[in-house]
Amino acid sequence: MALSVADLDLRGVSEALGRREVTSVQATEEYLGRIAQHDRVLQSYITVMADHALARAKAADAEAERGRRRGPLHGVPIGLKDLIAVAGVRMTSGSQLYADHVATRDAFVTRRLHDAGAVILGKLAMHEWAFGRPATEGAFPTGRNPWDVRRAPSGSSSGSAVAAAAGLCAGALGSDTGGSIRGPAAMTGLVGHKPTYGLVSRSGVLPMCWSLDHVGPMTRGVWDSAALLQIIAGVDPDDTSTRGAQVQDYLGTVEAGARGLRLGVLRRFYVDVPGLHADVRAAALTAFDVLRAEGATLTDVDAPTLDLSMAAWAPFLAETYEYHARNLRERPEGYRESLRPRVYMGALFTGADYLRAQRLRERFRREVDALFERVDLLVFPGQMAPALRFEDFPTTGLATASMRYTAPWNLLGLPAVVVPCGVSGEGLPVSIQIVGRAFDDATVLRLARAYERVTDWHTRRPDPATWRL
Amino acid sequence: MTDDRHTQFDAECRAAGLTLSGRDRELLFDMWVDWLPHRDRLRAEVPAPEEEPWR
Repeated sequence: MALSVADLDLRGVSEALGRREVTSVQATEEYLGRIAQHDRVLQSYITVMADHALARAKAADAEAERGRRRGPLHGVPIGLKDLIAVAGVRMTSGSQLYADHVATRDAFVTRRLHDAGAVILGKLAMHEWAFGRPATEGAFPTGRNPWDVRRAPSGSSSGSAVAAAAGLCAGALGSDTGGSIRGPAAMTGLVGHKPTYGLVSRSGVLPMCWSLDHVGPMTRGVWDSAALLQIIAGVDPDDTSTRGAQVQDYLGTVEAGARGLRLGVLRRFYVDVPGLHADVRAAALTAFDVLRAEGATLTDVDAPTLDLSMAAWAPFLAETYEYHARNLRERPEGYRESLRPRVYMGALFTGADYLRAQRLRERFRREVDALFERVDLLVFPGQMAPALRFEDFPTTGLATASMRYTAPWNLLGLPAVVVPCGVSGEGLPVSIQIVGRAFDDATVLRLARAYERVTDWHTRRPDPATWRL
Repeated sequence: MTDDRHTQFDAECRAAGLTLSGRDRELLFDMWVDWLPHRDRLRAEVPAPEEEPWR
């Protein structure tokens, strides 16, 4: 096979399959071969579903032979964060407690992917219960950053980021409660999309905080994320948060360009801050110039309650504690030492703290709604700094400095995407972030694509020759 | 100061039904201390009457 799917984004794989330049079985075998070759170092998969994937790929090829192609995901190999259920397959949530847990039915998003003809390659590494720390040891290591294997890809959807960035799948799904899609996507040069809360079902997805959890795509390109979202978005009777889901034509509008879009730059809170890495700042400011040149207008805007957003986010950890309280009491040894205090922390918020947070959340919503009367989208740097070395991750705490870039947007449930916009002096990816109105994920993706199509950051690939310890 | 903080921390743990010792207690104490300035800000806020809980 002359064509290597590992060099392609999801769109490239989809188009190659459509042109019959490659079969789904060939693509699947190539990814499986790369997993076998590289994942001992990269640690991105917890469970490789080789037999399942090859059977699905064979069925997809047979259908294509008969002239039936279900859509852009037909035969495309995808990875799932290991908190998304696939019936009959182990689902660990990165936890020793669930080391032998086998899901009895597919998650809604899994079902949608199967119905679209996608091939599930395997279950991807993650931070323990979507809230632990990066780990290279133990039963469930969390993955190494393919841009520098001494660094973490951040988390918690760490394996999803590593596998998609390293070409060990064509795209992946992750989940995001305070930045767990966008953080690792930013650290690995991917597009990471946290859809509007209520657009994508979480049924069959293990929770971190029910009120803030989102499932979304992590891919090399914006079109790729639009294609995945098109399939996984929609009403699911098993997840009441999706009752009001408004699905748009993401692929149909993704090429509409930036002209005429009004962008608000959240400069005070996100750009003019001492902790922001100079390379991230410089790349983001250059990206804003590119968007202006593409016909968008940019205005500085502010939402004062951003200052309180981390204080308002943390009390939701009461939800995490509630989910784990019994297991923590009865089987504390089932949790890593580094995770236990983070979960216990949820017990120390009072009911009044939780409700105060809910009221500040409402205040924040009103402020941002007012901004969206003046602008169509909000833009700002996608992260505080490029990827950290494993040893530089704090042992405790809530990482409020870095989470300020992502967690406020979980509080509001608004669509948010990171898109690569440069590299640091050390060659590490950096990103901008775009936030839109609720259920207007299409405009978020449209601006991301407008930026992407006049830049080449998304085409850069990490070098497999560096994947050694 | 540290003793006062430990006393307050232990009281809050008891109120929450947590009985921790050793490393778990140490790590949670560090995390709780990090969180206190945020909590103070949260508790110092006085939402307006129309700022009802998010629904």
